[in-house]
Amino acid sequence: MHETTSHVIFGIDPTWMAVSILLIVYGVIMAEKFNRAVLSLLGAGLMILCGVITQQQAVAGIDFNTIGLLTGMMVIVSISQKTGMFQYVAIKAAKAVKGDPWGILVMLSVVTAVFSAFLDNVTTVLLIAPVTLLITDALGIKPYPFLFAQILASNIGGTATLIGDPPNIMIGSAAGLSFYEFLVNLAPITPFIFLVTILAIWVMFGRGLHATDDAKALVMEFNENDAIQDVPLLKKSLFVLAAVIGGFTVAHSFHLEPASIAMFGAALLLLLQTWGQDTHAKDHAYEGIMAEVEWTTIFFFVGLFIIVTGVEHTGVIEMLAHKTLELTGGDFNATAGAILWVSAIASALIDNIPFVATMIPLIESMAPTFGGADALVPFWWALALGACLGGNGSLIGASANLIVAGFAQRAGHPIYFLQFMKHAFLLMLMSIAIAHAYLYLRYLS
Amino acid sequence: MKANLVMTKELVVCHPDQTVLEVMNILREKTFHVLPVVDENNKLLGAVNMLGMLSKLVPEYIVNGDLKSISYAPDMGLLGKHYKEIVTHKVVDIMDKKPTVVGENESLLSVTASLIAFDRFEYAFVTNKQNVLLGIIAASDVVRSLAQFDPEVLFDA
Repeated sequence: MHETTSHVIFGIDPTWMAVSILLIVYGVIMAEKFNRAVLSLLGAGLMILCGVITQQQAVAGIDFNTIGLLTGMMVIVSISQKTGMFQYVAIKAAKAVKGDPWGILVMLSVVTAVFSAFLDNVTTVLLIAPVTLLITDALGIKPYPFLFAQILASNIGGTATLIGDPPNIMIGSAAGLSFYEFLVNLAPITPFIFLVTILAIWVMFGRGLHATDDAKALVMEFNENDAIQDVPLLKKSLFVLAAVIGGFTVAHSFHLEPASIAMFGAALLLLLQTWGQDTHAKDHAYEGIMAEVEWTTIFFFVGLFIIVTGVEHTGVIEMLAHKTLELTGGDFNATAGAILWVSAIASALIDNIPFVATMIPLIESMAPTFGGADALVPFWWALALGACLGGNGSLIGASANLIVAGFAQRAGHPIYFLQFMKHAFLLMLMSIAIAHAYLYLRYLS
Repeated sequence: MKANLVMTKELVVCHPDQTVLEVMNILREKTFHVLPVVDENNKLLGAVNMLGMLSKLVPEYIVNGDLKSISYAPDMGLLGKHYKEIVTHKVVDIMDKKPTVVGENESLLSVTASLIAFDRFEYAFVTNKQNVLLGIIAASDVVRSLAQFDPEVLFDA
């Protein structure tokens, strides 16, 4: 900590420098005028150039498990979505309820929640929301209730697993919690939250959803088989997806990190995808997939990890942790509750990724107070539940929300910020209350 | 050559409060590409064409490619459903309110430049200063004028 002081230019105290960089970068990210990856990389660069941390310390601060897991899953998903399997499932689900509007709303929400648990939420809604618009168009019903339910479902589903939502990936990686542990600890409560949310949506919109018999018949004319684009690729994708998810479940027993599984799966699918084609076609396909990886997100994470490392290095985060503990009186239950609710409210209003990146070292530095890192596990669940479910609080709470709003806009049925918040904020608070009860019953006393 | 010498003067027009169905039937029967929309004083208000009508049948998220494939959707059902609705609308709801317009005394070089610059379905409407519709010039009219101007040099080469 102290030896870095001498590197600081202009004689500015490194603590102030680091905190200013963090606050300015987060502030400008919230203003949404500049690309968030560019901002986070600029902030990361400043941390090093201003001498807060060295390049070695910066690189050591990057959580390559998170980066590898995200990149690997992006590759796998961008290949498998070409097969049309996700649209197939969505249409099949809508037809299973014979075109009944409420049934379709529930089915598409279930599909969204399940996909979101295993794919990232943005990808899920990118695939499901347009199909939803087509179906509501055929039904002759305004798509708002369907899209509203889908946004909530994607964030609830994403809470359930290690790979469901970026905050979970970061938490799992930092705290050494496995895919299996997430499954055992978070997956049991999410179906209940989902159910209560759907019931609330029924009270709000359910009785108003009616479609004519002609409209229902039109939905039944959707042909899910036409959605499937490439059967051989479908088989390869399903094989790799199943292998990767199976791999995640058992990875911990073999001392493997999820990033290794995801990257190996990605490489395997890249190989299988173009098996038997000529070299030129292979290169072309490979470059296409690489272009589809969301490098913006990846570099955003890289920059963010470095910024947080810089701030962590100055001891500010440890100090904040002590302040937090003073506020909660060092009480375990109160601290867990505070983490849950503060995460939820913060994630509703700001990007939950930088929030979680900052919270992770803060929670880690509470370990001595509560008797070691193992005692902190309930805090990690509180952070995960708060950060993921909090995304439902407003339209800007999660990237997936904004993606859906974008589709709604282009379909001529815009989702308004306040309208969404009026419906969603209360449901978000309700889900956090359920999560609190769950944490209390299972981990606290 | 002036625009008013090249333009077609005998025009079929429609009025803003006619239904889309009536106008679509005229376009189909006469195999026209476009119909000018004028008020009671023959002032130009806009133009209706098939593509403009079709653009109302397909939502923007499909047009701009949010869905990689929509072959699984019932095409005739969805298009038909929207068509049934749009034909009951008035022409004013679907017309192109800014068609390409040229002045009656503009040169053919200027008219041709306008056709290219505004790139709206190969036609320009000719109006006087009071915006009264005088005629229409299609891209093919320009070519025909060139042929009449010097057929041997320009078209037998």
